[in-house]
Amino acid sequence: MSTTSTSAAFAQLQDAVAAVPRRLGRGYWVLVGLAASLLLWGAWCYSIIVRNGLGVTRLNRPVMWGNLITDFVFWVGIAHSGTLISAVLFLFRARFRTAVYRVAEMMTVFGVMTAGLFPVFHLGRPWFAYWLFPYPNQRHLWPNFRSPLAWDVFAVSTYFIVSTVFLFVGIGPDAAALRDVATGWRRRAYGLLSLGWHGTDAQWRHYTRAYLFFAAFATPLVVSVHSVVSWDFAVSLTPGWHSTLFPPYFVAGAILSGVAMVITILIPLRKVLRLTDIITPHHLDMLARLVLFVSLIVTYSYSVEIGLSLRSPPSDPERSTLLYRATGAYAPLFWLMVTCNCVGPMLLAVRKVRTSIPALLAICLAVNVGMWLERFNIVVTSLSHDRLPFSWRLYFPGWIEWGMTFGSFGWFFFWFLMSLKLLPVVSIAEMKEDLAHARHVGAGEAAHAG
Amino acid sequence: MPARVLGTFGDPGGAARAILALREAGCGEVRAAMPAPFPEVVAALGKERSHLGAITWTGALAGLACGIALPVTASLAWPLFVGGKPIVAIPAFVVVFFELTVLIGSLTNLAGSLALGWSRGGLAPLPGGREFHGDRIGVFAFTDDPARAEEVLRAGGAEEVQRV
Repeated sequence: MSTTSTSAAFAQLQDAVAAVPRRLGRGYWVLVGLAASLLLWGAWCYSIIVRNGLGVTRLNRPVMWGNLITDFVFWVGIAHSGTLISAVLFLFRARFRTAVYRVAEMMTVFGVMTAGLFPVFHLGRPWFAYWLFPYPNQRHLWPNFRSPLAWDVFAVSTYFIVSTVFLFVGIGPDAAALRDVATGWRRRAYGLLSLGWHGTDAQWRHYTRAYLFFAAFATPLVVSVHSVVSWDFAVSLTPGWHSTLFPPYFVAGAILSGVAMVITILIPLRKVLRLTDIITPHHLDMLARLVLFVSLIVTYSYSVEIGLSLRSPPSDPERSTLLYRATGAYAPLFWLMVTCNCVGPMLLAVRKVRTSIPALLAICLAVNVGMWLERFNIVVTSLSHDRLPFSWRLYFPGWIEWGMTFGSFGWFFFWFLMSLKLLPVVSIAEMKEDLAHARHVGAGEAAHAG
Repeated sequence: MPARVLGTFGDPGGAARAILALREAGCGEVRAAMPAPFPEVVAALGKERSHLGAITWTGALAGLACGIALPVTASLAWPLFVGGKPIVAIPAFVVVFFELTVLIGSLTNLAGSLALGWSRGGLAPLPGGREFHGDRIGVFAFTDDPARAEEVLRAGGAEEVQRV
C-alpha cells in the first residue's frame, strides 16, 4: 500500500468535508429564508390555536385527530431512518452506511424535534405540557402509566435523547479533525464538540466500545418507538386501528419514509456540496434497494390488512371501514397512497430505474407524499367512519392545520440547513477507516493477482 | 523518567508493524494517536479491552430498576382502577421498563466513555503538542533506550522520527 496515497486520500476527504460550509452560497440562504418563512407561518397558525383553542381547526366529533396527529406520526417515521442507517446497519457491518449515516442521524434528531411538538400542539392547554412527565407534586398525582399516551412521552423523549447523544458522540472525533483546520467561532465550536478528543489509542478503545453499545441500545429502541406510536391506535377499539399488525406495519412504514427522505435530501446535497466522490451512485443504489425491500414489507402489510378485513363477515366494522377507505370519500387518497408506497418503489427492482438519479428522486418524493397520506388515511378515515353510523362525518383540514403542516417542514429544514454550517455531513473518521481498509484489501488483491 | 520518541506514519499498516517491532524490541510502553480506529494499530498495541461494558450494563440495570420502580410505586401511590386493568399492570408498564433501561444505559455509556477517555491524562495535550486527527498516525515510545526506539521506528518506515 502506498503511504502517500493513503494519507493523500485522508487529506482529500477531510478537505472536502471541511469545505462544506464555504460552499453554501446565496442559494443556501434563499432556502434558509424559505424554511424560516414557512416556520413563521406555522408559528402564526399555532398562535391562533393558543389564543382561541383547538376549535379554530376543523377537528370535530368524531374526528378529533387530524392533520396534527398525522404530522406527528409522519415525523416520527422520518426520524427512524437515522437510527436504522447508523445503528442497525452498523451492527450488520454494512459498509455503505459510512458515507450517508451522518445526514440520516441529523435528520433523525431534527425529525424527532419536529414530531415531539405535535402532541403538545394538540393539547387543549399546552402550557400544562409538563403534566405529561412524571414528577413529584403536591397532590401526589402521577400520569396513568397504563395509557399509550404516557408511553409516547417515554418513547419519544428517550428516542430524542439517545439519538442526540448518538449523533454528538459520532461527531466528536470529526470535530477534533475540523478544529485543527478551522478558524474563529467555528474553531471554538469544534473545540466544544470534540469533548477533549485527542485520538489516542486509549480514547479509541473506549469510543469504539461505547459506539457499539449505543448501536445495541438504539436498535431495539428504533423498533420500540414506532411500535409505541402504533399502540396509540391499536389499543383502541376503533375499526381500522385495532390490529396486532400495527407495530411491524408502522415500523416498516417508518423506515420506508425515513430512507426515502434520506435519499430525497442526499441527492441535491451531494451535488451542491460537491460530495459526489464521497456519496457515490453506489450509496444511492444501496439505499434504493433498501427502499424496495421495505416497500415490499409495507405492501405485504397492506395486503394482510385488506385480506383480513375482507374475510370478516359483511356486518363487521373492520370490513366496512376498509371498503370505506377504498371506495368512500377518501378513496383517491387511499389509491394515491397505494400507488406511491407500493407501485412506485417496485420500479426500483429495475436496475436502470434504480441507477437513474432523477427517477430515484421522483420515486422517493412520491414515497414521502404516500407515507404522509398513509398516516392521514389511518388517522382520519377510521375516525370519520367509526362504530356509530349516526356520527359519521368527513374531515378536511383547514388552512390553520395546513399552515402547521407546512410550518413543520419549515422547522425541520431550518434546523437541518443551519446545521450544515457547522456539523460535518460525512463521518470523517469512519470514512478514513474505510479508505484504509479498501486500500489494504486492494493492495492484497493486487499482490495476489501479481 | 523515560524518554519519549515519536514516529509519524502515513498508513496504518506501517504503524502497526512498527508498534509490533517496538514491543518485540522491549522499547517500554508504546502508545498511538490516529485519525480513525484502525483495527490493525489497535491490535498491534495489544492493550486489554475497554471496561466500559461493565459500567454500561450497570447503568442499564439501574435504568431497569428505575423503570420498574417508577410506574409501580406511582400506581400504588394513587391506586385508581382504569379500564379494568390491575393497579400494577405489568404488560402495560413494560414500555416504561424498556425505555428507562435504554435511556439510563445510554447516558451511563456516554458518561463512562467520557470518564474513561479523559482519565489517565486523556485530556492533556499529546507529548510534543502534535495532533493526529488529519492524515498521519503518531506512534509514541516511552522508553529508557530512545536510540533503539528511533532505530526501530526508522526501520519500520516512519516518515519522521523525533524525541518529544
